[in-house]
Amino acid sequence: MTAAAPDGATSPAGPADEVAPPADPFAPQAAAPRHTYLHAINPLAKLGGVIPAMLLLVFVRDLVTPLAFLALAYALLLTGARLTRRTLTILLLAVPAGVLLVTLAFAVWVDPALVAGTPPLGRIGPWTLHAGALGVGAATGLRLGAILALGLVSGLTTTGPDLVRAGVQQLRIPYRIGYTALAAYRFVPRFGYELSVIRAAHRVRGHHGGRGPFARIARGWGSIVPLLASGIRHAERVALAMDARAFGAFPTRTERHLVPFRRRDAAFLALLLVTSAALFAATFPWGLPL
Amino acid sequence: MPEPAPLIRVRELSLTHAGASDPAPRGVSADLRPGEVVLLLGPSGSGKSTLTLALNGLIPHSVDAAVEGSVEVAGRDTSEATVAALSTTVSMVFQDPDAQLVTGTVLDEVAFAPENLRLPAPEVLARAEAALRRTGLWERRADNPDLLSGGGRQRLAIACALATASPAMVLDEPTANLDPAGADDVFDALAEIAADPGRTLVLVEHDLDRAVRIATRVLVLDRTGALAFDGTPEEILRDRAEDLIAMGVWLPRSTLVARRLRERGIAVDPLPLTPEELGAALAAHAAAGGGAPSTALSPGDGTAPPADAAPPAGVAPPADATAAPGAPEPIIRARGLWVSRGVSRRPSRRPSRSAARGGTPILRDVDLDIAAGSLTAIVGPNGAGKTTLAQALAGVVPPPRRTVTVAGLDPATASPRELTGKVGFVFQNPEHQFVAATVFDELAHGLRLRRVPDAEIRERVGEMLARFGLGHKATVHPFLLSGGEKRRLSVGTVLIARPDVVVLDEPTFGQDHARAQELLALLHDLRRGGTTVILVTHDMHLVAEHATHVVVLEEGRIRTSGPTAEILSGPQVSLPPALRAVPDHLRPLLAEERT
Repeated sequence: MTAAAPDGATSPAGPADEVAPPADPFAPQAAAPRHTYLHAINPLAKLGGVIPAMLLLVFVRDLVTPLAFLALAYALLLTGARLTRRTLTILLLAVPAGVLLVTLAFAVWVDPALVAGTPPLGRIGPWTLHAGALGVGAATGLRLGAILALGLVSGLTTTGPDLVRAGVQQLRIPYRIGYTALAAYRFVPRFGYELSVIRAAHRVRGHHGGRGPFARIARGWGSIVPLLASGIRHAERVALAMDARAFGAFPTRTERHLVPFRRRDAAFLALLLVTSAALFAATFPWGLPL
Repeated sequence: MPEPAPLIRVRELSLTHAGASDPAPRGVSADLRPGEVVLLLGPSGSGKSTLTLALNGLIPHSVDAAVEGSVEVAGRDTSEATVAALSTTVSMVFQDPDAQLVTGTVLDEVAFAPENLRLPAPEVLARAEAALRRTGLWERRADNPDLLSGGGRQRLAIACALATASPAMVLDEPTANLDPAGADDVFDALAEIAADPGRTLVLVEHDLDRAVRIATRVLVLDRTGALAFDGTPEEILRDRAEDLIAMGVWLPRSTLVARRLRERGIAVDPLPLTPEELGAALAAHAAAGGGAPSTALSPGDGTAPPADAAPPAGVAPPADATAAPGAPEPIIRARGLWVSRGVSRRPSRRPSRSAARGGTPILRDVDLDIAAGSLTAIVGPNGAGKTTLAQALAGVVPPPRRTVTVAGLDPATASPRELTGKVGFVFQNPEHQFVAATVFDELAHGLRLRRVPDAEIRERVGEMLARFGLGHKATVHPFLLSGGEKRRLSVGTVLIARPDVVVLDEPTFGQDHARAQELLALLHDLRRGGTTVILVTHDMHLVAEHATHVVVLEEGRIRTSGPTAEILSGPQVSLPPALRAVPDHLRPLLAEERT
């Protein structure tokens, strides 16, 4: 983050920021090298391209469909996203580990009566792991993994501000809403910190009112009140500061960062939608027995 | 010479917040002209901040308040123009730098206002660059504002105000959240802006030392919100000093130091406003053969009573906080204390190793003894670990086991019931520690926890309510109290358990002079009653005047610790200018030893 940005250029100021804190939703993105094409695609094209498939995947019960979409998402990300260490960790470790975990969890959790007819794979004491159980688990794990991976296609390659700008510029979302949402992003770490202080304060004063879930809920409510009070005050202050800087002066505002919707964005969107449709058509996962 | 036309014209202005019964400010009139740097003073509740909100139309447009009288900005009545339109004439800088950030980079942040004004992009960039260069942030333009220091973020807020190209800038306590280095940083930027003859600055500040250097005019609101004084800093701060003190308003530190020295028999005349004036007055005094009290003092000896202000017997600080041989057993002892970020929430269920393992250490290998009956101040720059140390000693952040003893207890393993009987912690923000729905229950909480009989609870709570002047608020929700009442209640909730040690995190932060003095008097009372008091503070004047012992932290380690006089005359602490102007041998005279 040291190299100088192009002087006064209208392009987003700021070089690649690979070492930005991971939770920074504002981290600037560099003008992407050619091979990381996903970063250069309009955020709405990316989002529009994956959302239909994500929604449909919720209703899928087979193994092949989610696997196909998982492969599609990975193909896009591995060829088109900037592969930082964090990205690679998510893609190659976190997502597979999550899928595996859900698979095993559901395999254990599923009602054995439903899968009693399938061949047993293993036995621990009186409990038998049926192939069907593993199948149900894998279907669930892969389904969640595929939905997540499709989300990452957009999530890993889009910054919050760009998404807001695209929303304002193409969808004509009023900028007041978009930028307010952006300002609200900043509350999150602050709230987290504040909550930890409040909990420490309450802990040190001691609890009474007993143990058990209800007492816990009552105590949880006890931390919410101070958090809300300070949250509302903070929000009011932010709102005043924004008003004082002419926020909402006109129905539109100058946009220095244009996020155009070009022909290639339309092409990307269309390609993604057609591919999704083709995959669903090929596997047609509905109407099949579980 | 004709005066320039006023930029802001306030006429008979009374503002009543929704829900408040009385207006504050009340009937204020003033003309603010280009070239003026106006310092707006007043005790808590006098309506300073409210008045600032009216200067750019946030009242009445964004904040609900009843308005009588008028405010005109560049000839336009603020009630008829929009805030956005007024923003090109009057810009604002608020107290909390974090509550003013919207975007993701320094450059976008400065561009925010001009973009809202629909200026063409090249003009937006030109303005942003000029504002950032002026505040020394141009090199940081690509950074996330979160990466700037507190002072840097506040300079960014000033740059954002500059980018509106408004001739008037209103700043509401811009350095209140900053440490001394950050405050210097902000005032360096402001001094340059203030030098512009076409510009009007309105500044609300508690810390007058820096502000008085740039101010050309002082307005003072009294407790009722009426305009009490209006004049040059000389006229008001020097000649009206006693009136301002009586109103509860802070004075420049040099002035307060000089007043204290006068009380102790050192003739400091005239009353200085700056450290330079204080230094000169003291030099003149010494040259005139004055300084009779100083002959009774050997330099660096904090325990010798000044000849003309003998402290009562028995309150002289113990010889050494750091356990000199023969000293009484310390009430708090820490050995090899390490605390890292993200330690376990539940001290009793996790092994102590978790505190020393992983994460960034906040405290590194701290060894510390605190003498029973002392008033010990923990000082150090932002991020040194002051609050963490105080919290670890009080068991708020669980220290590793067997590293800390407080009055015979290990805070790592003691239950809250045991712990609150020995040590109480007052958080910087009183609201954080409120757990009950009424003031009475808030005070009774600690007693119910240890199953004190109801009759006794009523009696002790009643006593505490009376002591803190909260008797008429017993059934009110703690969140509905005023700022000062909340602070008193938070201290009361800790004192009701009669702990041996009370720990306070920045107890005077953001309070007016009268309230800060009130709280400090209470701490002295406690100490006289045998309670050990520990406080975290940035305020070296408070340390010089009130603490018996000082612990200086730096990067999580103890730089030095010992009796106040010894530490303040040593090389390890950097004193604020007004204290530096006082020679070592006179400094013990500043100590408050109430009779």
